[in-house]
Amino acid sequence: MHVVVVGCGRSGAALAQRLGAEGDSVSVIDLHADARDRLASNFTGVFIEGDALHQSVLESAQIERADAFVALSSNDSVNIVVARVARDSYHVPHVLGRLHDVQWYPISSHLGLQMVTTVQMTVDRIHRLLRHRRLDPEVVFGNGESLLVRSSLPEYLSGRRVSEFNVEGEIHVVEITRAGHSLLPGSSTTWRKGDFVSFIVAAGALERLHGFLDGRWS
Amino acid sequence: MEILVAGGGNVGRQVARTLLAQSHHVIIIESDRSRAATLRDEGFEVVTGNASVATSLEAAGALHADLLVACTERDEENLVISVLAKRHLRIPRVVARINDDDTRWLFNDTWGVDAALSSASALCALIATPTQRA
Repeated sequence: MHVVVVGCGRSGAALAQRLGAEGDSVSVIDLHADARDRLASNFTGVFIEGDALHQSVLESAQIERADAFVALSSNDSVNIVVARVARDSYHVPHVLGRLHDVQWYPISSHLGLQMVTTVQMTVDRIHRLLRHRRLDPEVVFGNGESLLVRSSLPEYLSGRRVSEFNVEGEIHVVEITRAGHSLLPGSSTTWRKGDFVSFIVAAGALERLHGFLDGRWS
Repeated sequence: MEILVAGGGNVGRQVARTLLAQSHHVIIIESDRSRAATLRDEGFEVVTGNASVATSLEAAGALHADLLVACTERDEENLVISVLAKRHLRIPRVVARINDDDTRWLFNDTWGVDAALSSASALCALIATPTQRA
């Protein structure tokens, strides 16, 4: 596929590089010529120096034939404008962008744009790591409402039934790794010392799960 | 008329001054605190905030405004402000400043812009018409 990336900063360059290495055709646009230095010498795509708000620049990146467009400039309003132009004026089927400042989120979602808010993601992740030391999510579903987390089993639970642990709508044990093998627990499965457990947990119940694992059974 | 001027730089200030002289009620929205303070000292009514955010425009009375002039020094901001003002806050008329003539193609109805003008094109229009001598 052909992908146009706006912004050759750390994120733009890394994305362009990876897509190029996977065999995609990539055009990267940046205002500054020296941004090209962020791309390795084996970069297979095209670097274009210019302002992505200019029609001639977008068209020299072959936006008309793009399958995907990614707005990763350091300027949030530029990202909103070029993402919308890519979608509405050039009908690029898959358009994504990045926002640093969540202040811009309401207008971008009002315009129906799919934007990744990096500061929010960083804060959420760090906050989660701070609050739930052992419960770093492996997978986040939807907008973060449900999480897949893994933890070693606290000793006090050995011998008890796995099914006791499930809380309807909040916590569900989906998998146990025991002595190097994975199993799906049944209604009569009991915990053994050394079990490593996968839970699906509602975001609002993380604190409760953390409490269970710390031995605060309530 | 109730008029909002987004961006209190040289252009915004002159626009506001001209409109005030025509007896309109004008509020300037300026994100830079020190610039906002200077404008206040000069007697302008100012809301400090980012005009690309609905709450800032609402604080400036967007829900009752008849006209918004987007005249920051950044074209991408003027576009975002315009679309927010027209499509989201339903301000009936939106006029925008173009800083870079190469972005003129974007200033159209899809961004909620009713009319847009760059100083370069205004100068060119003057040159194209016969100049009057004093």
